[in-house]
Amino acid sequence: MVKPHRPWRRHVHWLSLSLMSFVALMLLIAYQTRWVYPEIHAYFSQSGNLTGQQLATRARGYLQEGLDQLLSSPDDQETRQRAYFQMTLAYSLFDIGLYRREYDCTGPSLAAMGELMDRLDNGSTVEAYHLRESLLEPMRCLTQIEMHQLDRRSEVTAEFVEQTRRHQGQVLAGSLVIFVLGLGFWSMHEMQRRRAARSARESLEWMTRALRDPLTGVGNRSAMQDDVRTSRGGSLGLLLVDIDYFKQYNDSLGHPDGDRLLRRLVQLIERALGNEASLYRMGGDEFAALFECRSDKALGDICRHLVEALRDAALPHPAHPHSDSVTFSVGGGEIQGWVR
Amino acid sequence: MSRMVFSCRLSALGLLSAALLVASPVAADTDELILLDGDREVVLSLEALREQADVEFRFYEPYLTEEADIRGLVFRDLLQEHFGEVPEQLHFEAWDDYEVTLGGWDDPNWILVTHQNGEPISLRNRGPLRLVERDYGNRDPANLRNFNDWVWMIRSIEAVW
Repeated sequence: MVKPHRPWRRHVHWLSLSLMSFVALMLLIAYQTRWVYPEIHAYFSQSGNLTGQQLATRARGYLQEGLDQLLSSPDDQETRQRAYFQMTLAYSLFDIGLYRREYDCTGPSLAAMGELMDRLDNGSTVEAYHLRESLLEPMRCLTQIEMHQLDRRSEVTAEFVEQTRRHQGQVLAGSLVIFVLGLGFWSMHEMQRRRAARSARESLEWMTRALRDPLTGVGNRSAMQDDVRTSRGGSLGLLLVDIDYFKQYNDSLGHPDGDRLLRRLVQLIERALGNEASLYRMGGDEFAALFECRSDKALGDICRHLVEALRDAALPHPAHPHSDSVTFSVGGGEIQGWVR
Repeated sequence: MSRMVFSCRLSALGLLSAALLVASPVAADTDELILLDGDREVVLSLEALREQADVEFRFYEPYLTEEADIRGLVFRDLLQEHFGEVPEQLHFEAWDDYEVTLGGWDDPNWILVTHQNGEPISLRNRGPLRLVERDYGNRDPANLRNFNDWVWMIRSIEAVW
């Protein structure tokens, strides 16, 4: 069994691919906007939260504050308590697993801070060398951590930026590919559509040509049959015109002159009947005209008018046995209430 | 049933405020947690909170970079007990003057930590109260940025409706 030919399916195919490409492009852009950019923002926007400022930086700040207090009034009990509090805060922010694991100075620094805190807690004297060992050394350690962490953060940021740049490059390339594919599919669709339109136009032209008489340009017998079949009913007038002694005309003057006579006859009939009538060449020297006809009288009038017009034309016919000019046989009839 | 002890000090609020104004930070009472709800202030004893702590688990503590035994309370339950319901947001003040306002507390995953490895936590190890997520899913513990919403050294909690 032969499957019916469905050219529209091919067009829908290309059109679907094209639409799918553009939808994919939109999804890619939405993904970039909705998920990737917030992620980048979240990565870089760390201010105001727990680790927005380095813990080491905060710890160093508390140590400096404690040192400042101890240097100002080392023997004042209240000052010592405030310094102890600052050192406790520093200790808690310093005592991070990451620092202990990666920076060798962390353990000894915390131990030294612990010793000083014990001295402050139990009321022991705090000398300058205690401060140097228990505060300055941890501060150096914290500074080292800060610098290293900043370097690391810069490296991570640079890597992240590079990754982001690569990612955006890939997305851009992907977007371009999808866009080009979409355009390609759309072009294919457009080509198919134009090809189908051209094919339809050509078919129509061929069909038109098949219904035309190439010599005179009027419709042929098939065209007349079609027109009668597709007419909406009502009365149709039909005139049949035949050239008398046309064979002799051709024999004496030649076929080119015979063709010219046929074309001239068409002009005469068209002029006589006007635009209302449709003219057909039935074959050889026989012509027919179809027109709306409301009564027998109208048909007779038109018929007479045509005969007079042909007679007035007085086309010469050197081989006519009874006349000097071309004569015609004209017949008419009415097709009443024609229904398909 | 909770055995938490808390005392309302509304009548002595003025006196307490005056005392805090002149007191040094170290003199402030680190054995208390202050809960604020508009004009209402509730002071909870840390000792009572430690006794009330009934959730125990062991997890990898990202800031310690090692496994730790944790004991504490389900934070949501504490909020419901004292605020009636879980506030939309909470404003935290920490002993190191860190302040933050965060939401999303209607979640039993948040634990108010009172003990670590069997010992009550103190200021020296980011206590006396600390908020952590019992289950932090598949977040990378090596990246501490993933735990920015944990709150340490909690001194007061204010409901933000």
